This record gives sequence, C-alpha cells and structure tokens, in this order.
Amino acid sequence: MALSWAFDLLLAVGLIWLAWQTLFGHHRFAAVVSFMVFGLLMALVWVRLSAPDIALAEAAIGAGVTGALLLSALGRLPRHPEPRHLLRPWQRPLQLQALAAAGMLAVWLGWVAHRLPRPGLAREVASDLAATGVAHEVTAVLLNLRGLDTLLEVAVMLTAVALVWSLGPALRSFAPATALPGLPALTHLLHPLFLLVSAYLLWRGSHAPGGAFPAGAVLGAGGVLLLLTDSVPWMHRERYQRRLRALLAAGLMMFLAVALGGLLITGTFFAIPTPLAAPLILAIEVATALSIALMMMAFYLYGEPGR
Amino acid sequence: MTTTLYLAAATLLLANAGVGAWRIWRGPTSADRMLAAELISTSAIAVLLLLGAALELPALVDVALLFALLAAIATANFVTRTWTLLHEDRSAREEARRD
Repeated sequence: MALSWAFDLLLAVGLIWLAWQTLFGHHRFAAVVSFMVFGLLMALVWVRLSAPDIALAEAAIGAGVTGALLLSALGRLPRHPEPRHLLRPWQRPLQLQALAAAGMLAVWLGWVAHRLPRPGLAREVASDLAATGVAHEVTAVLLNLRGLDTLLEVAVMLTAVALVWSLGPALRSFAPATALPGLPALTHLLHPLFLLVSAYLLWRGSHAPGGAFPAGAVLGAGGVLLLLTDSVPWMHRERYQRRLRALLAAGLMMFLAVALGGLLITGTFFAIPTPLAAPLILAIEVATALSIALMMMAFYLYGEPGR
Repeated sequence: MTTTLYLAAATLLLANAGVGAWRIWRGPTSADRMLAAELISTSAIAVLLLLGAALELPALVDVALLFALLAAIATANFVTRTWTLLHEDRSAREEARRD
C-alpha cells in the first residue's frame, strides 16, 4: 500500500511540475515537450483511476497527435520571439474579472461534481448492456446510450477542420536542418503497423477498451507520418478534393443516418433496434474512425489543400 | 510478493523518469529535451506493462503499444518540422546545427 501511495505521489508531483513548466516556462520548446510528457503522465493517472479507455484516448490524442501539431507549429515560429506585450492599464480590470469568473466557475464545477449521484449510473448501464449490441460498457454508452453526445463531438471536430482550412491554403513545410535518409524507410516500415494497430483497436472496441476514437487517432498519427514524407500527394490534388471532403464527413453522416433511421423505425431519435445494433454500431465505428483519422491529417495541413 | 516487486519497479522507473524531467527543464539544446521526452515515454511503457501485470489489467498492454507507436511520431516530427531552416541565412543554419 505504501508503495502505491509513493507511486501516486510521484505522479502527482510530476504532473504539477510539468503543468507549471508548460504554462510559465521561459523556453518555448521546453514548454511544448513538457506538455507532451504531461499527456503521457496524464494517461498513467487515468490508468491509476481504473479508466483504461480514457488512458487510450489521452495517449493517442493528448500525447501523440497534439504533440505533433505543436512541434510542427513551433518549427514555423521565429527562433527569437518578440518581447511579450505587457498589459495596458485599461486591460487590468478585465483581467481581474476574467480571473474571478474562472475561479467562480471552478468552485461551481467542484460543487456540481460533489453533488453528482454516487456510485453513478454503472448499474443502470450494466442492466441495459444486453440491448445495446456491444459487450463493453464504455462503447455502449458512447455509441448507443449517449450516442447523441458522440455525434456532437464528431460535429465539433468537423467544424474545427473547416475553421483551420478557412485560414488559408495548406502550408509548405521548410527543409529540415539535416539530411534524413532514414525517414522514408521508417515510414514504409512503420505505417503498416499503424494500420494493424488501428484495426485491432477498432475490433476490440466492441468488447474491451478501444473503439473508434483511439483507432482513428492511431490511423491519423500514421497519416501524419505519411504527410511528413510527402507520401499522400492526392490530398493536395484538385480532383480528389470532393472525395476528401466526403470522407471527412463520413462519420457524421453515418451517425446522422442511423439516428434518423431510428426515428423512422421506432419513432425515437437515435433509438437503435436491438437486432440491428451490433452491425450498425460497427458501421458507425468504421466510418467515424476513418473520418477522425482524416481530420487529424487535415489539421496537420494547417490550411485548405488544393488551393 | 510479485505484485509488490512490480509496484516497486514501477515506482523506481517513475522516479528515474523524474531525472528526464530535470533534463527537459535544464536543456540546454532542443535535442536534449526531445531525447529526455523519449526516455520518459519509454519509462512510461515499462511502467504500464508492470502495472498491467501487478493490477491484472491486460488492457494496459494496448496503452503501452500506443505509447510505443506515438513516440516515433514525436521524434519524426521533431527532426522534420521543428529542426528546420526557418530563414535561409547562414546564422540560422549554424544555430540549427548547434541546437
């Protein structure tokens, strides 16, 4: 017991130290690296809290893809930053108001979290599990019982892609500082592994931690590796743009089709009939994972391709 | 007994990763910081596998697999996109070589 206390204490101290370094460190690159390591430790924290599903998502999105995005963005910034702009006198009260609002929101959230029913809805979910078409509680909640939340999440990601693309044409990358003869070989060797692991996570989602989000993020990370070596030139070509956009929206469209189909058959929005649940959820998972992977790659272009 | 041993090893590895955190803070070059992050990532994989054995959670092997795959992405990004010649003048080139 003393050992697991020591482990948790080390984890907590490390997290706070890295969060501090990320926010207030003077070196920009150190801040980005601290953030990536923060994501790794956060995944360990989720493991300690017995939430391997969230650990998977955190590892894939928090530490992996976000880290890659930040590292690439850092490469485009000038090496010596301009001196930081100080606050003007009239901005001080605004800053205090924002701080007070954030503090009050934190207290309110804490109060709400304290008032949440205990031990939660685990028993209700377990009793309805047979009717959801999957054998894993988290997937059942994400894609059937609370499918609407996941649908809206995918919609938010699609909106984010539209926003990033509206900023301008896709950016050309700068030449690396040193010659990298090993990189294409690394990509060719590693990318099949990414495909394999992503398919494995997708298949596992129906009965164990896994599912569309980690699978899509892994596939997207593999896609980022391809983008680094310019192995997906079709993304920039004019005549593939329509197809690319259709694939980006495929996850959301599939979700909406299932939700509206439920409305037509049973009269309730997003009610999936039990005999059809298993194949429909698999279809949603495949479409969503594909869309999420392409969205990760779309973010990585930092602008609209084919323009 | 074995569980205690696994937990002790995991704690030791986490403390060892703390040395990596010191290197991230101290630098001095970007490559040092990136390698320290990779050290922590590798330690985290070992910690996850040990925890998976100690707590009997086979799902942690998948998380470890993900960590291993994504560490490659971070390094590849660093060498191709961060370590670039932002300006085509000589001083930047020299600095990139040193950094």
